[in-house]
Amino acid sequence: MKQFIKKVLRKILKENIFAKHIEAMKLVYNKHKRVCKTQSENKKYFLEQCIKFRTYSSKKTYKLIKNIDIDIDEDNHFIYAVDTMKQIRTSSRIIGNITIDYERLLNNRLEDLENMTNQKIIFSIKFLLNKMKKEIEKSSSKYNKEIKDNLEEIKTSKATTFYSALQRILFYNQLLWQTGHRLNGLGRLDKILETFYLKDLENGKLTKETAKELLKDFCVILHKYYWYKSNALMGDTGQIVILGGKNEDNSYFCNDLTFMFIEVMKELQIPDPKVLLRVSSNMPRNLMELSVKCVQTGIGCPLFSNDDVVIPKLIEFGYPKKMAYEYVTAACWEPIMPERTLDQTNITTINFVVPFHEMLENEELNNITSTEKILELYSKYLKKYCDKVIELLNKVKWQYDPLLSFLTAGCEKEDISLGTAEYNHYGVNSVGLASTVNSILNIENLVFNKKQYTFEELNNARKSNYNDDKIDFVKLLKNQKEKYGKDNEHVVEVTNYITNVVNTQFSLYTNKFGGKIKFGLSSPGYITEAEKTEASLDGRKAKEPFAVHISSEDSQAYTELVQFASKIDYSGSRFNGNVVDFMVSPDFIENNFKKFVDFMMTSIKVGFFQMQMNVVSSKILIEAKKDPEKFPNLIVRVWGFSAYFNDLPEEYKEVLIERALKNEGKCKE
Amino acid sequence: MLITNIQRFSLHDGPGIRTTVFFKGCNLRCPWCANPENLSFEKEKYIKDGINGVYGYELRIEELEEEILKDNLYYEDGGGVTFSGGEALLYFKELEPLLKRLKDKQIHICVETALMVKEELLEIALRYVDLFIIDIKILNDKNNVIGGNVQLYKNNVKKVFENNKKVIFRIPLIKPYTYNKENIEEIEKFLTNYRPEKVEIFKIHRLAENKYKSLNKKMLEIKEEISDKEMEELKSKLNQLNIITEICQI
Repeated sequence: MKQFIKKVLRKILKENIFAKHIEAMKLVYNKHKRVCKTQSENKKYFLEQCIKFRTYSSKKTYKLIKNIDIDIDEDNHFIYAVDTMKQIRTSSRIIGNITIDYERLLNNRLEDLENMTNQKIIFSIKFLLNKMKKEIEKSSSKYNKEIKDNLEEIKTSKATTFYSALQRILFYNQLLWQTGHRLNGLGRLDKILETFYLKDLENGKLTKETAKELLKDFCVILHKYYWYKSNALMGDTGQIVILGGKNEDNSYFCNDLTFMFIEVMKELQIPDPKVLLRVSSNMPRNLMELSVKCVQTGIGCPLFSNDDVVIPKLIEFGYPKKMAYEYVTAACWEPIMPERTLDQTNITTINFVVPFHEMLENEELNNITSTEKILELYSKYLKKYCDKVIELLNKVKWQYDPLLSFLTAGCEKEDISLGTAEYNHYGVNSVGLASTVNSILNIENLVFNKKQYTFEELNNARKSNYNDDKIDFVKLLKNQKEKYGKDNEHVVEVTNYITNVVNTQFSLYTNKFGGKIKFGLSSPGYITEAEKTEASLDGRKAKEPFAVHISSEDSQAYTELVQFASKIDYSGSRFNGNVVDFMVSPDFIENNFKKFVDFMMTSIKVGFFQMQMNVVSSKILIEAKKDPEKFPNLIVRVWGFSAYFNDLPEEYKEVLIERALKNEGKCKE
Repeated sequence: MLITNIQRFSLHDGPGIRTTVFFKGCNLRCPWCANPENLSFEKEKYIKDGINGVYGYELRIEELEEEILKDNLYYEDGGGVTFSGGEALLYFKELEPLLKRLKDKQIHICVETALMVKEELLEIALRYVDLFIIDIKILNDKNNVIGGNVQLYKNNVKKVFENNKKVIFRIPLIKPYTYNKENIEEIEKFLTNYRPEKVEIFKIHRLAENKYKSLNKKMLEIKEEISDKEMEELKSKLNQLNIITEICQI
């Protein structure tokens, strides 16, 4: 007995189980705060619940799966339960931000997926299915018979109906959330569900109306654990549905379900799940019209991903051609493959300003007399910076993951965390490119061309955080004509030069699984990274946010920003999400609907990579910030997701208000 | 050529998605002018939000062409270029080679004009312009505070229609200048002769106030607002002439 206690104690100490348990509990506690009006409300909830709180090591995933409590929504067509009081204890990063191969899961019964190493997982899933069946039977759910049959089918056969296919997707999706995976994408649902939908329509089991009802309930129930699923910010759930898309023969794929999903999002007016529409120049105009109408409601989706530009880059990078046409995206927009993937797209962030400031610190500025020289020196520092990024990537370890290995074809024999998936690429995102480009253009204009200031003078002003009383450097530096976002050859050239330095440096790297690095010009870090960054020569003061993705600070013509974005070089490894981000006032689309659709259709041809829009007026945002209770359902687009405005931290609200004002050509009062 | 602004993705100056070019300099002096920076034919210094700047920059015709062609792909759905100002037609002699090249490229050309210009300038425009957006302001010489010759204007309008050009009329409404009983009657009488695509009527707004301030000038005070009812009345009067009339919120 003594020996046993000693053994248990040693294990607890060695693996720091207690601390990890508390950490997991704290995380859930803090997340739950999001839906409580007061601290005490949250405390009360937690005191009641914490007795059920359990954590499991990832090796004991099967135990966790068996032990979850089921909660039932009696009016919903589906059962979907995530027990937030059961958690995985982690010591490494849990693989996440991917989409599992739902198509494979729909086309195989559970036993067909059986393999050598994961008997325990299969057993636990069967156990859970039986438990769910019992619970639903006991419940007063309106749909208990149907749900029970749909659950049974997961074990015994391929998915047979549209309805049961949706339930199966939810079931496996629920398991991912339950076992600590975050930002779980849902894949090309219009394509995956097509055969089920058509068959059911034909045999009379389904009408368009009932299909739409099912999709509505599907989205509603996915939205259920919004507070828990949200990552750093409320809304950041990564529940992304991919719709439409170009086929390998260049035709465009879309069907009833493509339209239906967008209609459902438009009608439900919830920020999550979110929709990404793969667009192409030969897509039907009415699909774009519907999408613009959806965007116009302000819910921030769909996000548009331009297959004409994206797919060739994926092929060039090395994804097999056939698979490139099947791409989905990670939580925000980073293209990944919909199967056999470990690709982790957001491991860290490049802050382009950091190496630029290292250069300013270490070089003799008065000797730098041309833009070429700046670029040459900056490359040196940027390369070193990239090497540090690589060092960091090399240290990343993935949590042992029996469930995901089970769900991923090809990972039967060895765990996916050891690199047994087909695609094992690493991705990073970036911030501060606009600041860096503008810094260089400002030096070029004010120091080299106009000789208005010396390099030293500008840098000293910067170091003082622009506290000079006599000269308003901020205005001067922010108001130069040439800047990031202008489709002027020189601006594009400087931008592409810089990203190519990173591209070249990364091209030399492969990770321990044989994967490469990819990076992109959009990142959620434009506020958090900027908070750590001192003032920059674009007139940005210390801690002030960076530009959002590919956007413009001025009330610039949308066509110009799109033209600029289309001239950026996305080749090599530079395709890890590149989003043009617009603010649009609601009246603008309302009053110019046809022309706005024309603009979107032509912009695809012009060649943007990806695009998203915030359709909201500054007036509403300002009012909502002042008086949140009046606007409980106001949705905005942040990073790559939609969120309730009221759920956002104040600094994010500020950024949105400021951008809306600038877009409308107004100044902050 | 002296230009104050080239506005891309312009949606209100003609059909489709357009690029609007604002030329600097005008031969009229409408007291309510919304573009005071486009009156003088010279560059003008300004101070806006504490920043010094200059209204107007010289652009060579090739540079202007390059700028216009940047959004060429967007012009496909009926869009194109709109020349505005100031009085754009005053630049047409100089602009002719570009107009020709744009016409060759089948780019839709539109001009916003008060049309109080010499006939030879109008002749050039008639060769290239697809759509004329013509102001109707004060139609009698008697109380004409804006300058310009009303008869010349009327002859020019007649000529535009004789050449079967598409026309949109724009009527800026402000009391007592353009909106008074006598002038409105004149306008109605004038319009009975023509079949424009449509007539756009709008109230003079104060959006230009900051521009006036930046030039250290004072914007005209609007003493008596035109009511929405009065706008509607005018609209229905013009509709009765079988002319499509829109009230524009600019």
